[in-house]
Parts: sequence; structure tokens; C-alpha cells
Amino acid sequence: MVAKRQQTVSISGNSMSRLDFLESAQNADGAWGYAPGRQSWLEPTCYALLALSARNGRAFASGWERMRAAQLPSGAWPAAPGMREGHWVTALAITLHAAAGVWDEAFRRGVGWLLATTGGERGILVRAAHFLRPSLVEFDSRYGGWPWQPGTSSWVEPTAHTLTALHRAAGHIQDSRLAPRIRMGERMLLDRRCRDGGWNYGNRRVLGVDLPSYPESTALALMALAGNPALDGPAAEVLALEQWQATRSRLARAWLSLCLRRLGAKTEALPALGAGEMDVMTTAIEALVSA
Amino acid sequence: MIHDDHSALQSRDQRERFSRRRLLAGAALLTGCAPAPRLAGPKGRAAVTIVRAASYTADLADILLRGVTACGLVVRGRRILLKPNLVEFDSSTAVNTHAAIVAAAVEVFTKLGASEVRIGEGPGHRRDTIFLAEEAGYRRGVADFDRRFIDLNRDDVAAVDGFADEARFYLPRAALGADVIVSLAKMKTHHWAGATLAMKNFFGLVPGAIYGWPKNRLHYIGIDRAVRELYRLFPRSFAIVDGITGMEGNGPIQGSPRSAGVVVMGGDLVAVDATCCRIMGIDPNRIEYLRLAGMLGHSAAGEIDQRGETLASVQTRFELPAEFRHARLA
Repeated sequence: MVAKRQQTVSISGNSMSRLDFLESAQNADGAWGYAPGRQSWLEPTCYALLALSARNGRAFASGWERMRAAQLPSGAWPAAPGMREGHWVTALAITLHAAAGVWDEAFRRGVGWLLATTGGERGILVRAAHFLRPSLVEFDSRYGGWPWQPGTSSWVEPTAHTLTALHRAAGHIQDSRLAPRIRMGERMLLDRRCRDGGWNYGNRRVLGVDLPSYPESTALALMALAGNPALDGPAAEVLALEQWQATRSRLARAWLSLCLRRLGAKTEALPALGAGEMDVMTTAIEALVSA
Repeated sequence: MIHDDHSALQSRDQRERFSRRRLLAGAALLTGCAPAPRLAGPKGRAAVTIVRAASYTADLADILLRGVTACGLVVRGRRILLKPNLVEFDSSTAVNTHAAIVAAAVEVFTKLGASEVRIGEGPGHRRDTIFLAEEAGYRRGVADFDRRFIDLNRDDVAAVDGFADEARFYLPRAALGADVIVSLAKMKTHHWAGATLAMKNFFGLVPGAIYGWPKNRLHYIGIDRAVRELYRLFPRSFAIVDGITGMEGNGPIQGSPRSAGVVVMGGDLVAVDATCCRIMGIDPNRIEYLRLAGMLGHSAAGEIDQRGETLASVQTRFELPAEFRHARLA
């Protein structure tokens, strides 16, 4: 499970592109860690592969092979190669298959797992508890999205990623569950929207207090809801731009840049990669902005 | 290393599987359960030191050194993992362990001869941990912060067994490999747990890369039970609770700053948390995770050797969350 190869990625000046960095950060097993030389995980692996798909070189080929080999008999992908539990990262693997134009049995089994997975708040006991004390955490329990892990509640980020994956899968899957799950997931996201217009991890109001949104979650939700008639396009762009201007989080800026690009807005060029770069996931998302 | 054979705890777990608390877990509807009898605790007594600190400009390294020494903690040659409470950043309030406390802890444990002093945290809501550390002043206020810091949400992990009912539970290698984990907690009220102090701070050890943001599996296990289980897995711990300016009311994030002007320290985290509760005007017997952790430490005032300031001299009545008004210390 743990990649043995320890490596140091050395970037002299700004000479290394993001894709070069990603290739140099690949573990010996073909996957990527969150940082060079660290344990392989599926999340940074999927982002790195999405970014490197344009090059379609040896790094992509070996990474693709490792990613495919990690799929579980259930159709899900685990958080890390070798783990046995299905995980939300299955959504990223499906988006990656769609980006690569691979619509085979592995893809179909992955989509099937996503369609069979829903948030634990749909369970009778949690719904009963929520009915008794609705003001503790305010949400509409009719609308289930997707959890980080099976058996837990729906949250904004895994729901947004799964909606993105299912939208891309839609033309290649014949499954009567697909359209209703997409509709319900979108309603769940709209229900969890914060009063300030954005999204946080998934609680808009707790104990009668409105909670603030986060820029990274807002970007993901806006991308997942693109085209939904309940979301006004220009207003979404303004919101994303305002959050981009307000945040100093590199990850949030990467997601918001991608979101703005998908919304058709022009974005500033990303700064050059700094020396000593260690963040594989954020670098890969930034590379997707530049793609 | 982390297997546990306390039969009393295991039988307690069996009972909890069928409790109302378990059924309601996951919706964070965890308050108002009937109190269970406190289990008999370990033998002996616990030492807890309270030191006054009027502000973050005080000589915090000296204050921490006095507390660590008074509690008899030996760190020479040991690998120390400092675990601050870094949750979200809001400049208008006091959500996080202050950077000056983290900086002082680095200085003290280095001075005491620790072979390694690292800092690790896995925030439960925000994914950009380095951004939070920057906003909270850690990167500019703590010596060598970037070299010392590990994002526990993304660290390499190993599976352990015996955590609640989980077949396998994954924890960061940085935590599993530390000789001593120092919980650099914040003195805060908590709207689901009553208070968040040294033990609850261990939620940040759980990797988001597996359990998400928030780490919702812990809510399904039950917040109180998960707090107890994490402390059971990491008994080689020490607590330094930042009560210089804590948080009252709707904590742990939306509450208001409340200055108690103290740092509370000790090697028995149950005793430290119970002492903090008494300082805040909370009855520790009404805090469920302290009751559940009765086998792991001392919460009764009569079993705690109080050093430094007396409790009475530093008591500061924190406003309690509405769900925990019943927990007010008489």
C-alpha cells in the first residue's frame, strides 16, 4: 500500500511545468501520493491522470494501469490501492474514464456502485431523529446525495464530484436509476446552499445559526450544477469571481479558476510553479485550468 | 501496540451498540441522553498543573516548561508530535490554539531534549490545511513550521483494529509512530459534546483522505464514544490546554472569545479535561465522553493532585451552549 520509492522533486527556478512536476512525482507503483514519494492514494492519482491525459505518455499509461487494477469487486475504487472499502473517489475514477473515452465493464460497474450508494441521512432512524429536532441541523432529508464513505451522510464535495461523473456518464449508461439520482443529488446541493449564496462542507444552518460558505466547496457545487435552471449563470459567475478574489487558499483558487473557465469566464494566468513544490493534488487541478 | 484487552471496556461497548445514542448518531443529535453510571477508573492519582497567563505576550515557554516539569513528563530522546486545534480561521474570534502556544511548545520540547518535535493536524472542515496554518499565524509565528508540519489528513496511514465497531480503522503514521502526542488544545465549549478540550482535539488525528471533511464516520460511531476510543489508542499523551482566551457559547466555531487567563497541563487527559470543565463552570460528570473515559483516567476532583493555581482562583464561568445548560457546575 505504501509506495517505497522516496524521491525529492527539485524544481530549479520556474523551469518545470506542472505536467513535468506531476510526471516526476509519480510513485514506482504508477500511482501518486499527495506529495512526492509518499503513500499512493487514488484521489491525487485521478487528478494527476486527468491532467496528464493530454500528454498520453508513459506516466499516464502506468498510472492508468495502476488505477484500473485498484478497482474492487464491488465496482468501487478505494481511497488507496490495497484498501478494501469503497470510497467517494470512485466518482473521480468515473470522470477519468469519461475523459479518456473508456466506457467498458469497469466503467459500468463503477457507475453502478455510485448509483447504489446514498447518504445515511436517508435512513429511517436519522430521518426520525431529524423530524424530532429539525433545527439542530437544517436540511431536507428527502434529498440524498453521496457520502465520503458508504454508511455515512451526504456532503457537498462527494455529491458534487459524483454529479459531475454521472453527467459525463449519462450518454453511455442505460440505467433507470441515473436520471432520478442526478435530479435528487442536484436538489440536495441546492438545499444545502448557504444564505450567502455559496456552499460549505454541507451544513447551511446549525442550531439556528447560518454558517458561511467556503470557496473550494462553492466552486465544486457550481460546476456540478452547471446547466441547472435553478442556478442563474451570470450570478454563478459573479459569485465564483467574488470568492476567487477574496480567498488566499491556493486550492480554492485552483477550483474556482476551473469553475470560472467552465462558466466561460476569463481567468488570470496561474503563477509559475514555485521551487520545492510538494502538493500533487493542487498542482494537478491547476494543470487542468491551463489545459 | 494498540490492542486493548480491557474486558470492562469491551462489555461496555457491547451495551453501547444497542443504545439510543448509537441509533441517533450521524445526525449529530447526540444530546440529552440519560447519564450512565461512571465506571471505576484506574488506580492512583493524576497531576494537573494550572498556570496563569494573562495574554499571549507572556513568557509562554517558561509557563509551559513549569507545567511540563511539574507533571513529571520526560521527553529526552523521544519523538514528540504536537497536535494543535486548527479548525477554521475567523479573525473575530478564538477558534484555534494560538500560534504563540504552538511556538512555545516547540521551544520547550526542543529544550528538554526531544529527538524530534513535529506538528500535525487534520482539520475537519477545510481541505487546504496550509492555508489555515497561514491564516492562523502558524507559518510566520512558529520556528521551522513548514519543515515540522504534517497534514494529518493526507499523511501515510496504517490500519488498526479495535476502534469501536470498525473492522479496520486507519490512522496517520505520524501519530502512530510518535512517542508522545501533545494535545495543544483550545478551551472551548462545544454544541454537540459540551466542551472540546484535550481529548476531543484528537479528532484531528483522523485522516480526511479516508473519512472525509467532516470526518462523519466519527459522528456515526458517536462523538463521545469516538473521543474515548481515540484516547484509548493514544495513551502516550500529554495535554496543554490554551485557556488564555478560549471560546464560550456556540462553540467550537461560532462562539465568542472568553478569557480564562490560564494554561492547563497534565499527562492524564481525562483529569486535564475534567479540570478545564471545572474552571469553565461545567460539571465534568455531565460530559458524556469524560464519563465513558472513566477507565482511562481520573475525573473526580479528589483523585487529582492540583498544582500551580487553585481551581477556585481561576474559575471563569463560560456561557454554555443551549443544549448543555444542564451541565452547569453547581
